[in-house]
Amino acid sequence: MSSPPESLRAIPPEGGRTPVAWRSQFHGGAEAEPSVPPRPFRWPVRTVLGITLLGLLALFALLGPWLVGASPVVQDLRNTLAPPSAQHWLGTDVLGRSALARLAHAAQLSLGMALLAAVSAAVPGTLLGIAAAWRGGRTERALLMLSDSVLAIPGLLLVLLVAALAPGALWALYAGLSAALWVEYFRVSRAVARPVLAGDAVQASRLLGFGRGYVLRRHLLPALAPTLGTLLAFTTSQAVLALAALGFVGVGMQPPTPELGLMMTEAMPYYEEAPWLIAAPTALLVWLVAAMMLLNPDRETA
Amino acid sequence: MTTPLKSDALLVVEGLGIQVGGKRLLRDISFSLRPGEALTLVGESGAGKSLLAQAIMGNLPPALQATGQITLDGTTTCAQDAAARRALWGRKLALLPQEPSLALNPLARVAPQLAEVYRLLHQQSTDSASAQAKQVLSAAGLGGAGSRYPWQLSGGMAQRAVAAITLAGGAPVLMVDEPTKGLDAHWRGRMVELFQGVLKAGGCLLTITHDMQVAQALGGQVIVLRHGQAVEQGDIHTVAAAPQHAFTRQLLQADPAHWLPFALPTLGESVVQAHGISKAYGAQKLFAPLDLELHSGERIAVQGPSGTGKSTLGNVLLGLVAPDTGRVERSARLRPHAFQKLYQDPVGSFAPHISLAQSLRDAARLHRCDWKAVQQRLAQLRVPEDLLARRPDQVSGGELQRIALARVLVAQPALLFADEPTSRLDPITQQEAIQVLLHAVQDTGAALMLVTHDLHLAAAVGTRTLDFAPGNTLACAA
Repeated sequence: MSSPPESLRAIPPEGGRTPVAWRSQFHGGAEAEPSVPPRPFRWPVRTVLGITLLGLLALFALLGPWLVGASPVVQDLRNTLAPPSAQHWLGTDVLGRSALARLAHAAQLSLGMALLAAVSAAVPGTLLGIAAAWRGGRTERALLMLSDSVLAIPGLLLVLLVAALAPGALWALYAGLSAALWVEYFRVSRAVARPVLAGDAVQASRLLGFGRGYVLRRHLLPALAPTLGTLLAFTTSQAVLALAALGFVGVGMQPPTPELGLMMTEAMPYYEEAPWLIAAPTALLVWLVAAMMLLNPDRETA
Repeated sequence: MTTPLKSDALLVVEGLGIQVGGKRLLRDISFSLRPGEALTLVGESGAGKSLLAQAIMGNLPPALQATGQITLDGTTTCAQDAAARRALWGRKLALLPQEPSLALNPLARVAPQLAEVYRLLHQQSTDSASAQAKQVLSAAGLGGAGSRYPWQLSGGMAQRAVAAITLAGGAPVLMVDEPTKGLDAHWRGRMVELFQGVLKAGGCLLTITHDMQVAQALGGQVIVLRHGQAVEQGDIHTVAAAPQHAFTRQLLQADPAHWLPFALPTLGESVVQAHGISKAYGAQKLFAPLDLELHSGERIAVQGPSGTGKSTLGNVLLGLVAPDTGRVERSARLRPHAFQKLYQDPVGSFAPHISLAQSLRDAARLHRCDWKAVQQRLAQLRVPEDLLARRPDQVSGGELQRIALARVLVAQPALLFADEPTSRLDPITQQEAIQVLLHAVQDTGAALMLVTHDLHLAAAVGTRTLDFAPGNTLACAA
């Protein structure tokens, strides 16, 4: 969780191109004209916008708590539901706590946890997907049955089931999120790996005597990387939304922890007096999801 | 040049050129096609044939600029205005792309990909669309393949599936890029019949092919392209009978029918022995128990219709597939990776995301082969070294096949199984590639097993022929 912006920025420029790779015949094909130099890559505007939005948000999550300075839990009952002012940019909540400080801490918690959950879902999910495609037979059937049974349970319900092991504990929420998210990585990496492993390129490499490590490094990972980058952005925003939803219905993080969903619930009764209180965490969620969606290159032009 | 008759022509191309930066890839091409007329483009790979079709379609890579005018069904548009023709795709204008495996959606089964044309373009109900898709697929000999994914199909099957999907739209202006590549004589004939049907129904056809027989069967005009220029244009039969330009003569001469047989090799010791091997896929028996022995230096040509197990026989000998019965014995003295394969589609046989230099270096390091020796080999094969910085899909087929040859030679093969290595190349490049291959085999003393659909090529190369014709108990003619 050391630097969320870096790992998110690591999405390769051609991210998301693989799903439409079968269109690549229109861009050269087998009879590629040797005289056409490869076009230098230009970042699409929307990707740049996505990276900028996400970078700002990551900076806010990373440095916000320190910059704001104010404690997210210290109450000031003489100054409740204060409107935005120079001292409290987003005003104060019903217990007189600084809304900006709470927002910064909540952003740090949500983003960090979501990224951690997405990464810990990605690693086993991808490895199992590759294993299923590679081994085939019983291994593949068993893993498919497992993934199908996880898919059969709605994601949030699964998170709830695992989170119920230790109500309100961070690790239980994290474990629940990872348990729900790995299936997507499994299915996608299996689907991408199967044709690669069945292809001539891998057969040629094996005939030449290359081992599994080589096939993984030179054939599978480059084929998987763009798709996994796209998926990481999607699952991270999914995890943030799931955390907020759980907090909102009161089964996620417990008060007084600053958490986006929880903050919305707390602000709900006062939305007529202090609409900025509920607007702030909502805007942050919209900001995050929009940034994640913008990160993926436009499929029509990719 | 033909005078465009705009009034009744379906497709008129006037002064079409393509350039990138200051470089002209195609210059001043003009022709017109009325209903029922056919035009064939022939020429070397990289001469700009596919680019011409892409320019008419309006899907040139964005870096390329097109000049000239294109008239489709009475509407004239600038060649550069690609968006203007996009609305006609499928309904008026269709392209059978060159690489069938890339044209299919890898994530969907074959039959639904065909059915969606009937459903979305012809507004049929889901049931009747899938019924019609099923019927069309079985007419194309793909009855059992509808529920498979594209990567489970052979090259020829994928080619037929894409042809069925392209024709399903019923577009009167049809462009086909190498439609018979990888097909045996039977399916090549069927494909030609299909296109003749389009012409009879009042469509027009632009064919890109290396196969002069196909071009002559379709008739009409021909344009011979070289370095982006039309060096000869006229009636196909006139041009074939009396070529005017030296390049056209060279192109016609390169047909394997005109080749002289290559020198007989001296046979060495036995490389591999197969005793009573057989293989069946489901109910289909590919080859009956077969005994085969290959000696070093020997060149065996394997022939027969597609789907009869030619590639499978090679894979069994290479040890990639286990035979159902019998056994394959390698000579004990051979190195572990002495059996190598050259693929029909060289693009597919390289890791797509890394440079060719990286692929070659990896192979050289694995086999402790000096990089200098690899460079020397590449020079012998006339591969410019700056090509190696590119990725496999950025190099032409003929060059890539030579790089593939350089890569397998790193392993010092004793048996080289070449699975239609030149079926995607133009005749001149094919002749060159086969010569390079035979020299390499001669130098290294490896045995060569060459799969081909081309009888003439088999006769010119093989010292023996293995015929997989149906009803033929594998005859081994010396």
